[in-house]
Amino acid sequence: MAKDPERRDLFSGALDLMILHSLRVKPMHGYALAKHIKQASDELLQIEEGSLYPALQRLLKEGLLESEEGVSAKGRPTRIYRLTAAGARQLEREVSSFEKMFAGITRVLAVAEA
Amino acid sequence: MSRLLQIFSRRRHYDDLSVSIREHIAERAEELMEDGMPQAEAEQTARREFGNIGLIEQRSREVWQWPTVESVLADFRFALRQLIKSPGFVVTAVLTLGLGIAVNATMFSLVSAFLLPHLPGRDPQNLVVPTSINPDTNFQPSANPVSAPNYFAWASDKRLFSEVAAADEYRAGSLSEPGQQPEAITYAAVTANYFSVFGEAPQLGRAFLAGEDQPGHDHVLILSHGLWERRFGSDASVIGRTVRFNREEYMVAGVMPAEFRLLGFTAQLWAPLTLTAEDRAPGSRKNRFLYPFARLAPNVTLKQARVQLSTLAQQAQQDFPAVESRWGAAIRTLPEFLIYTFGIRPAITVVMTIVGLVLLIACANVSGLLLTRAVGRQKELAIRMSLGASRVRVVRQLVTEGLVIALLGGGVGLALTFVGIRLMRAGLTFNDAISAVPVTLDTNVLLFAAAVSLASAMLSSVVPALKASRTAINTDLKNESRGSSSCRGNNRLRVVLVGGEIAIALFLLIGSGLLIRGVYLLDHQKLGFDHDHLLTAGIGLDHARYADAIKQEQFVRSLTARLQQIPGVTGVAVSSDLPATGLGSVTFHIKGQAETRANEQRTTGDVVVTPDFFEIIGVPVVRGRGLTDRDDAGTPRVVLVNQQFVHKVFQDRDPVGKQIQLDTPGAPAAWSEIVGVIGDIRSFSEDPRIEPQVYECYKQRPVAFLSLMLRSNVDPTSLTPALRHTVAELDPELPLLRVMSMDGVIDMQRSGNPLFAKLLASFAVLALILSAIGIYGLIAYTVGQRTQEIGIRLALGATASDISRMILREGFKVAAIGSAIGFVVALPLPKLFESIFEGGLSFKAPVLYPLVLAAMLAVVFCATVGPARRATRVNPNDALRND
Repeated sequence: MAKDPERRDLFSGALDLMILHSLRVKPMHGYALAKHIKQASDELLQIEEGSLYPALQRLLKEGLLESEEGVSAKGRPTRIYRLTAAGARQLEREVSSFEKMFAGITRVLAVAEA
Repeated sequence: MSRLLQIFSRRRHYDDLSVSIREHIAERAEELMEDGMPQAEAEQTARREFGNIGLIEQRSREVWQWPTVESVLADFRFALRQLIKSPGFVVTAVLTLGLGIAVNATMFSLVSAFLLPHLPGRDPQNLVVPTSINPDTNFQPSANPVSAPNYFAWASDKRLFSEVAAADEYRAGSLSEPGQQPEAITYAAVTANYFSVFGEAPQLGRAFLAGEDQPGHDHVLILSHGLWERRFGSDASVIGRTVRFNREEYMVAGVMPAEFRLLGFTAQLWAPLTLTAEDRAPGSRKNRFLYPFARLAPNVTLKQARVQLSTLAQQAQQDFPAVESRWGAAIRTLPEFLIYTFGIRPAITVVMTIVGLVLLIACANVSGLLLTRAVGRQKELAIRMSLGASRVRVVRQLVTEGLVIALLGGGVGLALTFVGIRLMRAGLTFNDAISAVPVTLDTNVLLFAAAVSLASAMLSSVVPALKASRTAINTDLKNESRGSSSCRGNNRLRVVLVGGEIAIALFLLIGSGLLIRGVYLLDHQKLGFDHDHLLTAGIGLDHARYADAIKQEQFVRSLTARLQQIPGVTGVAVSSDLPATGLGSVTFHIKGQAETRANEQRTTGDVVVTPDFFEIIGVPVVRGRGLTDRDDAGTPRVVLVNQQFVHKVFQDRDPVGKQIQLDTPGAPAAWSEIVGVIGDIRSFSEDPRIEPQVYECYKQRPVAFLSLMLRSNVDPTSLTPALRHTVAELDPELPLLRVMSMDGVIDMQRSGNPLFAKLLASFAVLALILSAIGIYGLIAYTVGQRTQEIGIRLALGATASDISRMILREGFKVAAIGSAIGFVVALPLPKLFESIFEGGLSFKAPVLYPLVLAAMLAVVFCATVGPARRATRVNPNDALRND
């Protein structure tokens, strides 16, 4: 996901998680979404467009997002993506499983250090 | 379901996507401009940062697609576009394949009708047919019908069969209505459980009830669908109606559906089979006329049944040695039995092999065409591969083209098959049993045609595709000169293909030439009697009115006398079988001659005739005397024999005066004296065999089934109305079977072999034409490849005739190799045919081979002359230029 090899490689569901959560906070169009993730992570994460748009289409196809015509920040026509009810449910599932995984890793790491 | 709807919303998603992406880039550019970058640079940077726009958009789109299906569809569309651009190639390839598929599918309809018959009833594969094994015949010995005592013995063995029905399938009866001509009906007499053993319910009314095959309750009939349609106009009210059948009143109880048909058993209706105490007596063992149909007892396998049946047969041999000695028993499943009995399996196998060969030739041709095409597209394929197409992908593209051609060829083939089946049906009328089986374009044939189309697609296109893709990898993309890109391997492959085609075509030509000559000889062989100006008709003197020999003989006497009175009739005779149409056979003993081996008995053909028989058909008495009116029931029994009999049995010594005993069915064996020898008549008009025959006197042994023969001095068929009238005067309810001139009978019998030969000949010609196309394609291609070389030769002083000779030589070289192979493979054919058509037909035809070779060379010449001429017109300047 990140271009810079210094940045950590994220697990495959990470991008979907980011997108779903960001869009739950506020429905946005593609460019705004990319900027939001970059800003919210304090520049630790930068999404490549090559992954963003295919991911958006995939989530659309699975029915977790829907798109509608809207207007960008500059007033030009674009498509705005928003979370569906199914998307919200999926997001919760993903967050909980991410938290479980994170907790598990933390505990393993804690054991090693001790 | 949502997936299907997604197809329609796809467009919208694509639009949304491109709008989003465009806007993304525009926003980034604006941001950069706000930071001070100039517009052009900002836009460029934004685009660069985004990445490969096209690729990303495509990847995003793919989310909404099924990539494999899409790319296969794309292949199809591309293939169609390419094919539309070269109509000549498409037409040739499609026609070639279409012809190959058509002949195969047409012949397969025979396979479907005769070898994969749709059998009626419940679970027909588990029905078994026990039969007896006839020790004295060569024709289908193990499917002989059984006698009534056999049937009773086997039916009562509950360990063997859970249920058994029996049928006499070949009875002749009459349906009559007052004032109308009686109609001869072929019917089957069956036990009451016949239909329930088969498990087939009637379409109308009911089947036989238990007990309806007992005397007194048996005047019930079940009609076949065909008879119901034809004679009763598909009228449902026929159920319960009384009809006059065999001179008695019968009630129609039911109608069977149209599918109830057992291959060649052509019963038009079913009547009950009444078996009396007499039929159970040992005396009836000689009369074998029943076909049992049974279901095996539970847990009994066919093998076990076979063993049990043999044991029963051996028991019968011991108990009744006079009748049952050497007779065995066999058992088959119903499909096996039908195929054996109405067996044209060998003929069909031969035909299918041949059309398979023709199809191979067609595929080879299409292969060659595809190879040429592929070579012409080397550059295109090389570019594709350099752009990233895998070899598999390229091969898939080429195979798809082959598939499209095969599909089109299959469509054309099916249309031609429809016509072909029609033609063939018209030709199958030479045999009642065979023409009773419907030959249609059914599902089997459709599936077969589809399978053959696919197979030929694979066969024709895989090798060219592989070759083309391999050479494409190695091709330089620079402009090569025409002519240096020909691959040695390509050419050799095509030479092998075309050489093989020629070999096959030659083999087929020789084979069909030999067959046609053989059939011609058969058609023109001397039958031994005069068969012109003879009107014939069959009569069955039924039991109801002609119960004993006296009544039968009386009828024949009065009828003959009246028939003599008809103007135009110069002679009347009666015979148990028409000459040259096959005859009964009996075992015999000669007084004073020991049997050759303890267990062996000799058989001879046997016919019962009236004395005028020999004069009417023009057969001379060569020794002793003929039969006269004075030979009758009161005088000593006399017989005549033919010359072949004298040759085989008496080694050409004088037989007159010797005593002979014939084991005739249904009559006590009696000694007769041989009083004369007559000339040989062939037993079958379509067979070269001459067999020993014995002629008995009608008055001394009247038979119930006989043929009338009227010699006339006018056109014989013009006497038909008079004949019918005369018979009706004596007995208005007696039907006449098959009133035809003797010439007509012989023509009909003989039409089987010519059909076979004509089929083979047309396949051979088709093979030849296809091979010619193959050679033409090959030589034209080589000329195209060698343009540069030809140009050099011309520039260096070669004349036009030198060039054309060179090209022609090339064609003839391939033809020579192919012909040599073809001749070698065809060497064993004469011996093979001689063994099939046993009886002395010689298949040596040395004039055939040079003829076929000349035809082949002529065809090759015609095919090569075009490209050769074109070669001579090559302009050396054009050829030498590197383009």
